[in-house]
Amino acid sequence: MKLPYSWLVELTGSKWPAEEMGERLTLCGIACEDIEPTARYFDKVVVGKVLDIKSIPGADKIRQATVDIGKEKLDLVCGAPNLKVGQKVPVAKLGAKLAGGIEIKKAHIRGIESSGMICSESELGISQEHTGILVLDDKCRVGVSLAKALDYDDYIMTFELTPNRGDSMSAIGVARDIAALSSSKIIRPKFKIKPSKEKAGKCIKVEIEDTTACPRYAARIIKDITIADSPWWLKKKLLMCGIRPINNVVDISNFVMLECGHPLHAFDLNRFGSNKVVVRRARKNEIFKTLDEKEHKLSPEVLLITNGKKAEAAAGVMGGLDSEVGEATTDILLEAAYFNPAVIRRSRKFLNMTSESQARFEKGVDPNGIEYAIDRAAYLLQELCGGSVLSGMVDCYPKKIRPCKVAFRPQRCNDLLGTNYKTSLMKKVFKDLGFKVAGTNSNDKKLSVIVPTFRPDVEREVDLIEEIARIRGYAEIPDVASNMGPLFTPVHPQDKFKEDMRRLMTGQGFDEIMGHGFDDSRLASLVNPNQPLLKISNPNSVELNVMRNSLISFALTVIKNNIAQRNLDLCLFEYGKVYFPPDAKGNWCEEYRLLVLATGQTRQSWRDSSRKYDYYDLAGVLENLSSRFKMPGFEFSNSSFKCFDNQLSFEIKSDGKVIGKIGKIDNAIAAKFDLKQAVYIAELPIPGLIELSDNKRLFEALPIYPASSRDLAIVVDETVKAGDIVFKVREAAGKLAEHVSIFDLYQGKQIAKGKKSLAISISYRSSESSLESNQVDERQRLVVGSLKKEFNAEIRDK
Amino acid sequence: MPLLEQIIQLEKEALERIGNSDSLDSLNAIQVEYLGRKGKVTAVLKQLKDVPPQKRQQIGAAANKLRVKLENLLKEKQAAFAVSGTKTVFDPTLPGTAPRVGAPHIINQVMGEICQIFYGMGFEIAHGPHIETDYFNFEALNFPRDHPARDMQDTFFVEGGRLLRTHTTPVQSRILASRKPPIKIITPGLCFRYETITTRSHVAFYQVDGFMVDEGVTMADLKGALVAFCREYFGKGLKYKFRPSYFPFTEPSAELDISCFLCDGRGCQLCKYSGWLEILGCGMIDPHVLEHAGIDSEKYTGYAFGMGVERPAMLKHKITDIRMFFNNDVRFLRQFL
Repeated sequence: MKLPYSWLVELTGSKWPAEEMGERLTLCGIACEDIEPTARYFDKVVVGKVLDIKSIPGADKIRQATVDIGKEKLDLVCGAPNLKVGQKVPVAKLGAKLAGGIEIKKAHIRGIESSGMICSESELGISQEHTGILVLDDKCRVGVSLAKALDYDDYIMTFELTPNRGDSMSAIGVARDIAALSSSKIIRPKFKIKPSKEKAGKCIKVEIEDTTACPRYAARIIKDITIADSPWWLKKKLLMCGIRPINNVVDISNFVMLECGHPLHAFDLNRFGSNKVVVRRARKNEIFKTLDEKEHKLSPEVLLITNGKKAEAAAGVMGGLDSEVGEATTDILLEAAYFNPAVIRRSRKFLNMTSESQARFEKGVDPNGIEYAIDRAAYLLQELCGGSVLSGMVDCYPKKIRPCKVAFRPQRCNDLLGTNYKTSLMKKVFKDLGFKVAGTNSNDKKLSVIVPTFRPDVEREVDLIEEIARIRGYAEIPDVASNMGPLFTPVHPQDKFKEDMRRLMTGQGFDEIMGHGFDDSRLASLVNPNQPLLKISNPNSVELNVMRNSLISFALTVIKNNIAQRNLDLCLFEYGKVYFPPDAKGNWCEEYRLLVLATGQTRQSWRDSSRKYDYYDLAGVLENLSSRFKMPGFEFSNSSFKCFDNQLSFEIKSDGKVIGKIGKIDNAIAAKFDLKQAVYIAELPIPGLIELSDNKRLFEALPIYPASSRDLAIVVDETVKAGDIVFKVREAAGKLAEHVSIFDLYQGKQIAKGKKSLAISISYRSSESSLESNQVDERQRLVVGSLKKEFNAEIRDK
Repeated sequence: MPLLEQIIQLEKEALERIGNSDSLDSLNAIQVEYLGRKGKVTAVLKQLKDVPPQKRQQIGAAANKLRVKLENLLKEKQAAFAVSGTKTVFDPTLPGTAPRVGAPHIINQVMGEICQIFYGMGFEIAHGPHIETDYFNFEALNFPRDHPARDMQDTFFVEGGRLLRTHTTPVQSRILASRKPPIKIITPGLCFRYETITTRSHVAFYQVDGFMVDEGVTMADLKGALVAFCREYFGKGLKYKFRPSYFPFTEPSAELDISCFLCDGRGCQLCKYSGWLEILGCGMIDPHVLEHAGIDSEKYTGYAFGMGVERPAMLKHKITDIRMFFNNDVRFLRQFL
């Protein structure tokens, strides 16, 4: 909301400079975001009179004008279609700096020297209007500065209001807080209506069908008005508040709304279609055309102002086209009503339109501020439009809304704020705010505060406490550096697991990525088909229309983005959530998962050459994970996942339970993400990992006796799995085999086709004694025997 | 001795000598002794032509393997001696060859730093679901239906009648409903709002909320705790101001601004020449919220606060585009090793 500084001064008599006023208001809860001088672009702009206009040969959009600016006459080129001889206009002289960075310099246009510019409102920074020049009042004296001619030297204060403070959405509303801060009173404008003999009650009746939705509806009739432009003082106020002047009637209702916060609506009485206002809910599918010429199909969500037969306005939101005030309007039905904020909100949502009126009604206006608002507008219609105000206000207000009485304990206030305010001071704050303090008992332990209806947000003791705090300023509340609360701060195991896992992953050289949880349903169902997806009911783009049910699709997107930036070699992990729709029993599920991926090449140095990342790089990371968290019986076994290459798709198991999957991303899927290089990914749900991990981490005694190691080279069919060989070796070697590892693999010229050579190292150790070499040899013979038998292995080198 | 056994013997012997050698010179000597033109391994290779063809392949492979193994090992050892600088010219400007270290995501780092400070002040860390009910996200926090306050947090809804939490404060609703005071908790995590994705806003963002409920908690305690946090996180000497604001779940409500740590309040681009930075929202927990959770609001009072994580991260690390966080460009991520 924008308000000119001068208006606030007018209403309060405040002596604070604009900056100080802004700061003080900010510190009491009316945040002043910006203070901008209005005449910022008025330097070297003066009033000129258009003496002559000539067309320029060969140019139909621009004309040459001669203007008198007092001491001299200027020739300049002007493109405005509304330029006429005799007009008083704002002329920017050479050196003027206008809005939008325009600087006036001597220019040659089509052979004509132009030494100035006739300005539009937008060039002067007054409004967005730029289709024509600003035409000044004929009373303006030629040659005087524009700021003086327009009386426009002011500041525009921009306020960012919180939704609870509907009361502050006007000049008087803000002025009330200024008055409270400075213990002064508001100076309301004085005015007097001269009512005609004719009674408004004879002209119009009001009937409210739903008094919960509309507790009060008041109307006045003003006849014989003339629609015209508003006087400059009124236009100026509207412009400074960022509202476009239209005609005197519309401008007056906007002005009164800006002044006191109460929205009004003016109907053309002769087009209203009856002499009865009926406020009712819309019927289902009722058709209504708003004044922006949109046709709406309504529902009972919408509250209507009708003429008894058909809708004339969507109450509090927007007027109807049929009874809109226009050039020909002479008689006015002026509405000032109080609508239930929730009803206006629903109505606005249904109609999908917002307006200045709706914003105020929705936040709550003062039901008892209607008299002031409607009288003020009637007075201005009488003065500025030559209207005749019919006597009396037709007021349908079946149940008066009274100020609310709130019990207040000064001690409680100090207890909550940590302050030490005296009761007398608190009472003073309430009085400054325009609240009444009544029914005080002798010792002042409990006050009764009567809150006027213009502050619907104050209805409880705690609200009053906030009023004390904000008017006194939060700076008066001390900062207490004490520490209260429970003695012990536990760390939850899930958090610890997450930190341990993240450290393990970064320690292995993997960079952490973080996702936003959304996914594109097309990609998600490609990567993870036949899995239910949680759909967003109101997505704001198709790329983010579901919640992800796997971390893979996001990871592939991250790879794609990185590769587009030529970051080709990636080792990444994410510890993030996936989401599912509710199951048949209605249980909602979301779980953390770990994703690890490698793609591209290992790092090259002057000593080591690089190679492509492959499945085993990832498998090794997971083996480290199983060691770190002591996960039992860790293994990979073939299983077909849609997202993986058929040949390279595995389940990860621990203790026989599936705890995740690992594989190479399927080529067709990779292509959807524009990926040409192989991507290896593993994804593991966290709950399973936590369940199987062993956090006891017990010490095992270090061996006393030396180990004895034997190497063995065998040739087997290439289909034989290393894991099976290791398993059999362990089985045959028995308890004495401490480590069994594969340290070489060879396939090629030296070995028959379809065969492979494996080198196995077995380390034997006993915890009870040093092993004799014959003991080891014996074990080794068993191992050899077993390998020959199980795998038809051929033993090399012996 | 059969050649195969000779090879095994040679291997054992050479490995031992390489292992025991203590200078580049001795390594060079070993190289000549085994791999030189008249070296021992070379000799074995030369004898291959006398081996019967059926055995030649096997022995040849073993001898070659040994040669390669010794060559590699010697090279490695020689390089090691080069580094330790005995005789050869040592170049200390060659880059080191450390293993790769991964970067934790900057958002997790910042969230961790924030949580760590509060943890030090006795706040427990708690979490809740991202897919929330209207009740915990709004209703229990005193956002009535059809109230303009709901427009402060534009919401994504999911099929099945729930919504994506718009703040982490619903964790507060859940905890208040299930525990008894004293409670002192922070709730870091992912939140979602229906926003346009720009350099300053995103559909998802991280938040750290916190609250404390006990007997006799005052707004002075709230100020004390948050000032302590800001001084720890942003710098000891900073100035601050609490100004009134509005949140449905707190009354009185406040916004905390701190003096810009870059220009010390003089005005710069970071603080948009105001000298101040908006850091967090806070207030005394509204009695409605406590009563909703079945806590006696006469006996107990509490405070609550909430801050975004991206904003302090962007301020402190001078990150100019919020989309960087979810973009996960590794050049960005790895700047924050």
